[in-house]
Amino acid sequence: MMVQPVAGRSFLATFALVLVAIAGLFAIDMFLAKTDRAESHIEATRLFEEGQASLKNGDPLKAVDRISDAITIERDNRDYLRSLASAQLAAGESADAQTTLAGLLSSNSTDGLANLLMARVLVREGRAADAVAYYHRAIYGSWKVDVEGNRRRARLELIDLLAQQNSKAELLAELLPMQDNAPRDLTARVYLGELLLRADSPPRAADVFRGILHESPSNSTANLGLGEAEFAQGDYRAAEKSFQTVLRLAPDDPKGRHWLDVCRELLQLDPTIRGLASSERWRRSLTLVRQVRNDVDSCVREDSSEELKEWASKADAALKTPAKEPRTADDDFEANLDIAEQLWQIRQKECQPQASNDSALALVLKRLAR
Amino acid sequence: MIDKLRRSLEKLRQNEDQMALVLSLLIGALVGLVVVAFILLTGRLSARMYPAGGAGWRRFLVPVLGSLSTGYLLWRYFPNARGSGIPQTKAAIFIHDGRILFRTVLGKFFCCSASLASGIALGREGPSVHVGAGLASVIARNLGLKPSQVKALVPAGCAAALAAAFNTPIAAVLFSLEEILGDLHATVLGSVVLSAATSWVVLHLVLGDDPLFHVAGYQLVNPAEFGVYAVLGVVGGLGSVGFVKLLLHLRQWFMRLPKSTAWFQPVAGGLTVGILGYFVPEVLGVGYNNVEKVLNGNIVIKLVVLFAVLKIVATAVCYASGNAGGIFGPSLFIGAMMGAAVGGVAHMLFPIVTAGPGAYALVGMGTAFAGIVRTPWTSVIMIFEITRDYTIIVPLMISNMIAFFISQKLQKEPIYEALSHQEGIHLPTGEARAQGDRIPVLQSMRSKPITFSPDAEVGAVLSQIKEGGFDAWPVVAKDRLQGMIRNSAIVDLVAAGLSTKKLSEVLDGSSSDGQAIADAIPHVHPDHSLSFALKRMGASGVNVLPVVSRANIHELLGIIALGDILDAYGVMKRANGKEPAAE
Repeated sequence: MMVQPVAGRSFLATFALVLVAIAGLFAIDMFLAKTDRAESHIEATRLFEEGQASLKNGDPLKAVDRISDAITIERDNRDYLRSLASAQLAAGESADAQTTLAGLLSSNSTDGLANLLMARVLVREGRAADAVAYYHRAIYGSWKVDVEGNRRRARLELIDLLAQQNSKAELLAELLPMQDNAPRDLTARVYLGELLLRADSPPRAADVFRGILHESPSNSTANLGLGEAEFAQGDYRAAEKSFQTVLRLAPDDPKGRHWLDVCRELLQLDPTIRGLASSERWRRSLTLVRQVRNDVDSCVREDSSEELKEWASKADAALKTPAKEPRTADDDFEANLDIAEQLWQIRQKECQPQASNDSALALVLKRLAR
Repeated sequence: MIDKLRRSLEKLRQNEDQMALVLSLLIGALVGLVVVAFILLTGRLSARMYPAGGAGWRRFLVPVLGSLSTGYLLWRYFPNARGSGIPQTKAAIFIHDGRILFRTVLGKFFCCSASLASGIALGREGPSVHVGAGLASVIARNLGLKPSQVKALVPAGCAAALAAAFNTPIAAVLFSLEEILGDLHATVLGSVVLSAATSWVVLHLVLGDDPLFHVAGYQLVNPAEFGVYAVLGVVGGLGSVGFVKLLLHLRQWFMRLPKSTAWFQPVAGGLTVGILGYFVPEVLGVGYNNVEKVLNGNIVIKLVVLFAVLKIVATAVCYASGNAGGIFGPSLFIGAMMGAAVGGVAHMLFPIVTAGPGAYALVGMGTAFAGIVRTPWTSVIMIFEITRDYTIIVPLMISNMIAFFISQKLQKEPIYEALSHQEGIHLPTGEARAQGDRIPVLQSMRSKPITFSPDAEVGAVLSQIKEGGFDAWPVVAKDRLQGMIRNSAIVDLVAAGLSTKKLSEVLDGSSSDGQAIADAIPHVHPDHSLSFALKRMGASGVNVLPVVSRANIHELLGIIALGDILDAYGVMKRANGKEPAAE
């Protein structure tokens, strides 16, 4: 089939014109696209900053709106997406935040901040056990800036969660790396020591507090922590000294006062403290029986268990012993401790209200039980 | 070098298939680049007209001024560039041999860009299709191609434009075939696919790989949801019909106004958008940002219903008053809002068994598109391509088909045909073409025709066929069709004094080889359409064809004559094709 060319313009010229138009348009399009990207970026940045400001000013709903608009313009900007998730979380839109973060994590599961935010979302939803895994990914994940600082903060957040959950073993597991890379900031180190105490690791806590006091001897909080650590280890005399130092540095410190009182009371009460004379030990054991018997007194009734009645009678019998030290002081001492301990255990089971755990009596009996 | 190139091009000119191939690629690239420029230019212009933190009065004044200026330009210089461009493209293909003027392309590009940037509530996709079709037409005509070739390249331009405008190459191909040509089996499929693919590649080169909407993955929560999607189909169908009827009614009203008012009629659209947009900014422009928000479940039911209603009004007035812009984009907006409203209510009532409103907004987009534009398959594929979310396809198909069915029942004429009709142009609808093609030969054939034995003498046959009115007759031996004997051959033989010759001696197609007889005897099968039979009669120069079995070409099932076909279409009665009485 022959094609008839149009008069006035050759086939070749038309072809060439089309090719030139394509080249020209390509250049124009690239220029327009570049301009578009630049202007869009400016607009997206403006919206993002507005969103950030709203978030800071306590208007997370507006922040979500603005940051969403910014994301519509720059869809792949991970910073915007992370901020959107933060704003959604702050606005109480946990499900939306979870969706946003799931999208982020599906493209990069090692994103430290996204993992941290996801952990926060899950904590908000009451799924602390699931959150722990995301905290770990945040701790070992990638961060754009201040890698160590962000990882430490993520770990501290996890530690807080574990402390709230009273997961002592897991808490200690997270605290040990913190102790190895102890922060330079004294406040953070004090907090670390306190957490070690909560994780039932008073020797490590004492080490941390001693380290702080080596650098800053007048740090009352560290003295208080050290006192508590020493107290927890049963070193009441050392603890008493530490609490005295606390009150010397901060005379109005209620916690220091409380602990000092408990400490003194305990030092007065504890019959197992080393260096006590036999008579003193016997006398203290009798005091212990008396205090326990007084404590259960309101609880002993007609309908009380036979066991309680029996041990209450034994306590009464022990308390009828002479004021002077008997010849069999050591035997009586052991028997008194046994009565006090048994009666205390039955009291814990049967009597209301429960005894305070940090009273001197409770602490001594707890120690005896150990 | 130049000479070599010239020779290569000359060689290319001589080969129609190669030429179509190369031109499809060129048109795809050119149209893709032009549409990308159109999108970017409109976006930048819009950003200038509505700067961040701009005053509220802009939302009123800019659409009014935009519609006034573009209205004047359209009236004075580019009268064919009004509206969407789809009806104009179809008219170009079916009426004007694919002819679209370069001036119209320019007018469409610039007026539409200015109009959309000013906030007129219309879409960019329809105009892009017109621009793409126009460029294909201009290139083809300037290369001196035949009108049939020009017509064949125009759909390629349409597909390239839509592929770039929506970032949906497959839907673009389907749309060109389903809506523009009204024939999913069109022979231009190859060039349409090539062109759409090239345009899509160009789009990705310039703008990167980014779907039109980013949507969170949705899925069917419970099989009971199909019921809600069916309700959405009904709502979408009714909403679509309402929109189309309102638009057509308003357009009719504007067309009845004095011709002298034509240049400022678009201001009515600008004013409507300005007033609505002043209070509800979401009405301005095509509103894809709001669609994306709704798709991601960010909705308040009362607001999305308000947006849907206002958008229907704004788009109908803008289009009817003669502004440049299409209805694809607004269809998606309206559909998303309707879907979100239905989904929002369903999710409120049955939160456990239904997905969030975003999923329904997604399906709603396709539903409205199927109901308004009446291209159900294009809409299914388009939504899939726009969102790249496969999981919602089945609910989408159900909802689309219901909306399509309701739209077909309540609004007989599809929107683009109706718009052309208002202009006095009668486009062939796909349905009409399909209807014409659907009448099978079986329905009109004569099942017991007169046949002759191969042993019959020529002289005896002549005396029988004198009054028959057919050009040829079947020759059958032992229920096997041996061939067709032509009247002219018998007359010639008798004139030559060979009246005693037997038919078997003079028959052409007496071979036992199926292919040979098929080539020698023009024939049809019972499932062929009448139009096909007519074409074959024309090609073979006879007014009657044997109807044979597809399984056995020697098995004569009947004959079909020209008179039978004309009779089937109600043109003439069978009297003209009367057979001679059998002896």
